[in-house]
Amino acid sequence: MVFNSLTFVVFFALVLLAHRLPLPWTAKKVNLLVASYLFYAAWNPPFVILLWISTIVDWYIARGIWNAREKSRAVRRAWLLGSLAVNLGFLAFFKYGEFLLQNWQALMASVGVEYVPPAWDIILPVGISFYTFQTMAYTLDVYLGRSKPLDSFLDFSLFVTFFPQLVAGPIVRPGQLVPQFARPVQATRDQMLWGLALMTLGLFMKVVIADSGLAASADAVFGADKPVGFADAWLGTLAFSGQIFCDFAGYSTIAIGSALCLGFALPDNFRMPYAAIGFSDFWRRWHISLSTWLRDYLYIPLGGNRGSEARTYVNLMLTMLLGGLWHGASWTFVVWGGLHGFYLAAERWIRSRTGVQGDPAGAWNRLALALTTYLLVNVTWVFFRAETFEGAARILAGMAGLAAEPAAVLPTVFMIKTGVIVAGMIAIQWLMRRRTLEDVVARAPWWLTGLVVAAMLFAVITTQGSGEAFIYFQF
Amino acid sequence: MELRQDEVTTRAVPATGWSAIGGLVLALVVASVTAWEVQMRRLGLRAGDLDDGASHWTVERRKIAAGKHDGVVIHGSSRILFDTDLDVWEELTGRRPIQLALPGTNPRFLLRGFAQDADFSGLVIVGVTPAVFFTDFTTAFPEYLELNTLWLEESPSRRFGHQVGLLLSRRLAFLDDQYRLGTLVDQLDIPDRPGVRRPHMRVWKLSESFDDRQYFLWPRLQTDARLREHAKAVWRLNFGRPVDASRFPAIIDSVREDVEKIRSRGGDVVFVRAPSDGDLYERELSVVPRAATWDPLLERTGSFGIHFEDHADMRGLDVVEMSHLSRESATRFTRAYVAVLVQRYPWLDRRAAAGS
Repeated sequence: MVFNSLTFVVFFALVLLAHRLPLPWTAKKVNLLVASYLFYAAWNPPFVILLWISTIVDWYIARGIWNAREKSRAVRRAWLLGSLAVNLGFLAFFKYGEFLLQNWQALMASVGVEYVPPAWDIILPVGISFYTFQTMAYTLDVYLGRSKPLDSFLDFSLFVTFFPQLVAGPIVRPGQLVPQFARPVQATRDQMLWGLALMTLGLFMKVVIADSGLAASADAVFGADKPVGFADAWLGTLAFSGQIFCDFAGYSTIAIGSALCLGFALPDNFRMPYAAIGFSDFWRRWHISLSTWLRDYLYIPLGGNRGSEARTYVNLMLTMLLGGLWHGASWTFVVWGGLHGFYLAAERWIRSRTGVQGDPAGAWNRLALALTTYLLVNVTWVFFRAETFEGAARILAGMAGLAAEPAAVLPTVFMIKTGVIVAGMIAIQWLMRRRTLEDVVARAPWWLTGLVVAAMLFAVITTQGSGEAFIYFQF
Repeated sequence: MELRQDEVTTRAVPATGWSAIGGLVLALVVASVTAWEVQMRRLGLRAGDLDDGASHWTVERRKIAAGKHDGVVIHGSSRILFDTDLDVWEELTGRRPIQLALPGTNPRFLLRGFAQDADFSGLVIVGVTPAVFFTDFTTAFPEYLELNTLWLEESPSRRFGHQVGLLLSRRLAFLDDQYRLGTLVDQLDIPDRPGVRRPHMRVWKLSESFDDRQYFLWPRLQTDARLREHAKAVWRLNFGRPVDASRFPAIIDSVREDVEKIRSRGGDVVFVRAPSDGDLYERELSVVPRAATWDPLLERTGSFGIHFEDHADMRGLDVVEMSHLSRESATRFTRAYVAVLVQRYPWLDRRAAAGS
């Protein structure tokens, strides 16, 4: 079920109602668990079985690891490998199966062996990358000695399945969410209203900005089967940068808001990423729950920055390449991750040579560096959005002003919409670079907040939306 | 190894007047949405216009799979869709056809899916819009490309959402795809660079749709010259594209395959050519001439066909924007073509059969 659907409106109203009934806390948690399974099953019922398998496997394996804590590391590692085999096995089969087959076919062809793989007709379970990472975090935490296994299977199941963040994050760690299940919680009136305001903001970002305001521009440019000129290529890419941000940050905001309406707190997933100065700053602001997951469960275990300088660069690059592959089974995503790895490595090298740490002095310097960061991030988005390298090359050629006989593809109204929205988005993110939304709302007059929320809600209702799935569902 | 213990997440609620904000938002949204609804009704939108979409189609398609049909299915593009009055069908025959025609869509690719459905053996009426049917164009709406499988695989969430949408559409006029805020912005008439496909020149609202996918041309097109002229300009643009006449034989052969499959199960296929008018009709005569398209189609598929040119009571109807009939004319056209059909297929008239 998607947040921007009438089904979700009805579903959420019923969940809120059930959560406010005078029932024992355990019954309320069972309600939430059943609702979460319904939320997932409403898309494709049989795939709930995958959720159950992930839940049961990691529940028992984490206990196995804990019970073997006095035994050799090899025993604990064997337990861990069991969890990784199941979770990564699901990912490998459902998400990367076709990709692996295609690459195997290409490899065989390169050595003169003709291999025709069987047709791959497997549906990708929505959000599989998110919940497998979430359950793996639990088992890895126990393996790494960060936490004990949980005592309550109900709490663990709810942690894996909690519907607000089940299919597109934020990817939550056990320590962030599970303790909240221990005691009865109910949203206060202010939490409820703030939660609803956040949901309105998230829906506005998704329905009005991403789907209605920017998607058509990105689709027109990236879907063009001919060379596009400088303006079209840049506007199409800028449109996608805004679309992916508003789509994904919109989802996270609705997730945070809906959890808050139930009395639970989820962590931030975005903090004004397009105001980042440099790429390490960008990754502290973009998809924070994934970047910290990769840092804690991949980069640091690989050795992080504790080895030689060369090893640190290798670790950075490996982490970002795998981060790219996490997004999708395609080499274009790997290149996207590789470019970010290269940017991070280059920034690290420059900072180590110049000794400049943190933000540079001078507002104009900061602004110039932020815009440079944004423009370079846009180059990576080309590989993220294009379906093939040929398509990416066509857009990059246009952005460099090198397209031969470029065609005009963007209607004027799309160009105006993209320009206005992207400029507004950058300005807002720059102005809020060091501030949180909570700060801004607390300082604003109440009537202004009311006016803005009402305007957003009106725009959502009159734009309606067609229930377009969130882009990150496919990851 | 540096180990990090994750802290329990907490979220601060901004300290401000939330009760006042809640009241203000409620008042402003109720007032502005009410004003929007009033304005949309002034523009001719009506509550009860169900704003058809893929989910509405799948509901009808599943009726066939469930055997809840009267043995007649209509395929085609917007002409047979807007120009067929299902109530008249029922009145004349005692049967209510399943309406599966799709606007902006070539019926051939759905006909193929239908031909492969081993469970249907009734009569398929295929509306032919020549400049669509005899080309390799599939549809102007990418979501329709999935329909052959969507009716089987549609998610429970989407099915439920459709039912909620119907409930709201019966009460609110503004819930209309073509009058969404974003769509209205895209329709602004702003000059474009040469070669750009202008959103202003996309099809605007043309029809109203009701239960059982009963469509009629939107009455406002009969009274609003601006909308009518816009529609005509769009048809000139869309149907002005070149048509590859060398493809006609292969296209007819592919249709024949599908027709034969349906016949092999005891079913049959009838083709219906609804009226067009003005320079659009003139263009159809020149680029998809009857002698090269319609006549060979009937001959090589061995099918019965009803062409409006061949029947006096199907001519002289009100073709509002050169392509679709007014509601009154749609009723007359349906009456006329159903009468011809019943002559050819007497079993269609369930009432007569019951009386004999």
